[in-house]
Amino acid sequence: MRLAKPILLLLALIAPFPVLAQTPQEIVAAADKVRNPGQPFRATDTLTEYVAGRPRDQDQLVVYAKEDPGTHQFRNLVRYVEPPRDAGKMALFDKHDLWFYDPSSQASVRISPQQRLIGQASIGDVLTVNLVVDYNVTLLHDETITDADRQQRQCWHLDLKAATDTAIYNRVEYWVEKGSFHPVKAKFFSDSGRLLKILYYRGYREQLGSLRPGQAVIIDAVDSSLVTTIQFGDLRFQDIPETWFQRDFLPRLRAE
Amino acid sequence: MLFKIAFRNILRNRRRSLMTGSAVAVGAMAMLVFGGYITYIFAAFETGLVQRIGHLTVFRSGYFVFGAGNPAGYGIDDYQDVMRVIAADPVLRPMIRVITPTQSLLGIAGNFSGGNNAAKTFLGTGVIPSNQQRMRQWDEYGVAPPEVPGPRLSDDAPQRGLIGGGMARILGLCQELKLENCPTPPPSRDATPAAPVDQNLTALAQSELGSGDVKNATMPQLDLLSATANGAPNVVTLEVAGVAVQGVKELDDNYVAMPLQLAQQLVYGRGEHKATGIVLQLVRSEDLRAARARLQTLIAQRHLDLEVRDFAELTPFYVQVVRLFSAIFLFITLIMGVIVLFAVVNTMTMNVMERTNEIGTIRAMGVRRNGIRLQFVTEGWMLGAIAATVGVILAFIVEAVINHAGLTWLPPGNASSVPFRLATPAEHPPLLIGTWLALVLLATVAALLPANRAARLPVVDALRHV
Amino acid sequence: MSEAAAPVVRLQHVVKTYHAGAVDVAAIRDISLDIPAHRFSMIVGPSGSGKTTLLNLIGCIDAATSGRIEVCGEDVGRLPDNALADFRARNIGFIFQAFSLVPVLSAYENIEYPLLLVGMPAAERRRRTLAMLDAVGLAAQARQRPNELSGGQKQRVAIARALVKQPTIVLADEPTANLDSTTGAAIIAMMHRMQAEQQTTFIFSTHDQQLISHSEETFAIRDGMLLAHDVPAAATTGAFA
Repeated sequence: MRLAKPILLLLALIAPFPVLAQTPQEIVAAADKVRNPGQPFRATDTLTEYVAGRPRDQDQLVVYAKEDPGTHQFRNLVRYVEPPRDAGKMALFDKHDLWFYDPSSQASVRISPQQRLIGQASIGDVLTVNLVVDYNVTLLHDETITDADRQQRQCWHLDLKAATDTAIYNRVEYWVEKGSFHPVKAKFFSDSGRLLKILYYRGYREQLGSLRPGQAVIIDAVDSSLVTTIQFGDLRFQDIPETWFQRDFLPRLRAE
Repeated sequence: MLFKIAFRNILRNRRRSLMTGSAVAVGAMAMLVFGGYITYIFAAFETGLVQRIGHLTVFRSGYFVFGAGNPAGYGIDDYQDVMRVIAADPVLRPMIRVITPTQSLLGIAGNFSGGNNAAKTFLGTGVIPSNQQRMRQWDEYGVAPPEVPGPRLSDDAPQRGLIGGGMARILGLCQELKLENCPTPPPSRDATPAAPVDQNLTALAQSELGSGDVKNATMPQLDLLSATANGAPNVVTLEVAGVAVQGVKELDDNYVAMPLQLAQQLVYGRGEHKATGIVLQLVRSEDLRAARARLQTLIAQRHLDLEVRDFAELTPFYVQVVRLFSAIFLFITLIMGVIVLFAVVNTMTMNVMERTNEIGTIRAMGVRRNGIRLQFVTEGWMLGAIAATVGVILAFIVEAVINHAGLTWLPPGNASSVPFRLATPAEHPPLLIGTWLALVLLATVAALLPANRAARLPVVDALRHV
Repeated sequence: MSEAAAPVVRLQHVVKTYHAGAVDVAAIRDISLDIPAHRFSMIVGPSGSGKTTLLNLIGCIDAATSGRIEVCGEDVGRLPDNALADFRARNIGFIFQAFSLVPVLSAYENIEYPLLLVGMPAAERRRRTLAMLDAVGLAAQARQRPNELSGGQKQRVAIARALVKQPTIVLADEPTANLDSTTGAAIIAMMHRMQAEQQTTFIFSTHDQQLISHSEETFAIRDGMLLAHDVPAAATTGAFA
């Protein structure tokens, strides 16, 4: 059974802030704003899977993102465009529940956390995690690290621990570039302390009024042969109705 | 005089008595031997189950019906307190041999090391190894086969576990675990032709993770992935000490056993560590009903949200096996009974016919109708009793021969052959007495019909008979 | 001679009809007679005349179709089956043409058998059985089974069996038919002796002339009717030398 391939896309774009003495919380908040413009938006993303270095699958998706006004969780509605066999399929994602909808059967299926352990279904959490809301932040030290393009970056090295029972990752290590607040790298750890995923942001360019990452690289730390890249494109602000994030509405959704 | 005449008449028609007696004796022997067979099977099956899953398990309410889909959601709160209460209870304490917590879990087992890329869903249990070992020694009926030497879990090795044979095959661990009859899986058929390798990405990944794991030299390692009770993805490392082949293929393909702590770490993560079951193994199976009742009383008294299940409920297969064999036994009993009935009726009818004149004579002498009836019923009864006793002796002999022949067999659902033996009638008095009585009763009843006919013979007609 | 005693058997207008399939056979058509006690009485007649039937009726092992039968003063027609059996056990001894001993019992046991039916205690049984065995001269054959005895010996056992309980009546149906004349004579002599000792009434059914010559009361039957009733003048009674 093919697992759903939801693509969660978080874009953050923000105008550069004046650099002031920041609390760790504020650093993370600023970095979150780079990923997420704070208004509902849409993007057209290209997702490529690599197995042992060779590209295997490529999907093109349209993502609609909107923050939940109450919980501040990022919600995403994903519609598949390419390849043709997947065109029209949709996935609705908000923190815990993932609903997959297939127009040919008109059925919405809930994908449980158990079913999202491996494969592409597992990477959505990495991109939608709301670090500000769900984590307690500690600033460890300043550190210069190599980014995904083999460039040196001066970063704050932050340690985030889960603040709630329902936070997906028990601990996150975060490197945010000093001054620009661009998230460079993140490491996500499970409850058992094992490294689950490594995330790089790169290709920063001007989108939706700020410098935002053009690509995310996600390395699976458990199955080390898997690497996934997501190219973010065509970002636009768009008003997205609340009904679009209701699973019952999926069959009737005519999105564009 | 009654018995004298009956006995001498039995001896008088030697061949006829022998034929009928043989039918009864063989019937007795067959019932006892087969009864011994199924008694042994039931005892062996029960022993196997009680060794593995104990007599009773305490679960969170609803676990038995719904828990398989979501074990993480059915952990028992404060399970250690519950265990303490149970163990300290004055009624239960003398009955309990082992009390231990278990955790059921499901997830994905992955072999991602050193170029491998195999993953398989698993159904696992977390146990306390020393308790498990102790449970394996339960042997109330004396039928347990000697313990198979092999890899085991240990309290001192919290990451060490065992997997099923099918699981090992599918994850490609045949060579590392040095298993026999274990083919390596074919290479995965990936449709895409060799696209060029993206060197940058490969280099990036390798810089983070290294080119391959430095393996713990002795044991292969698996990643066990599961979602915690709160829905977070979690992963732990399992050192595979070896394979515990399960008799049933579906189980063998999915089986993982690990120490309780590891299971709890995987399932509960940062939350409260619970257990899905509290297993009780009793000293004697006879106490099961009393123990269960007491547990339920305790649960009700403290308003706990718990339920109790016994090993038969947890293993429907056991109940099915018991029913099947009991039905077969009944069937055989009925067939034997019919044969015995016919044989005795036939014999007694011939006896009556041959002694018609004699019947007339003694009726003339003053024997009442009932006396005649009694005479022939007694003959049937005596024949049955003697033959049944012979059958019992034969059964003892047959069982002694079989039990010392050193046979083995592979019980259904078992992983390996075990010694084959029959429970002797001495070990199962109800079977012995029941069989004997049933056949004697049958012979008596069978003689009734011809005896009635003899009793109702008109005297003059009987006297006229040659 | 014999004193005038009440008849031990009295028949009044007795009829016996058999249903043999679709046909009714009248075996006895209206016989009335009295049989005196303590004597040798004989019922004589050709085959098929109803002798055996008459004997069976007297012996209470068959019931009359109509008429009244009194045995030992008892109206036996009214008695139910169990009472009849008990009556026979107490009062009537049988001697059959074919001896009819129980094959699995020894001579001793055969003779003892009737005493069990009247509930006699063991010591008394033993005494009487041994006495009978002596009386018929078979003490040495006590342990032997019928198939080890000659015809004459078997009949002697039968006589002993019939008499051991000291019945009022002994009914004998062709007792000498299967015996040679010498043995027959001995048997007859023995029966005379018993009669003298115990005052038993003997009722025979026979056409053995030797036996008939000992008759004290003769009833001639033919086609189910009583032809004649003789009291032979030259009847030999009393004990033999």
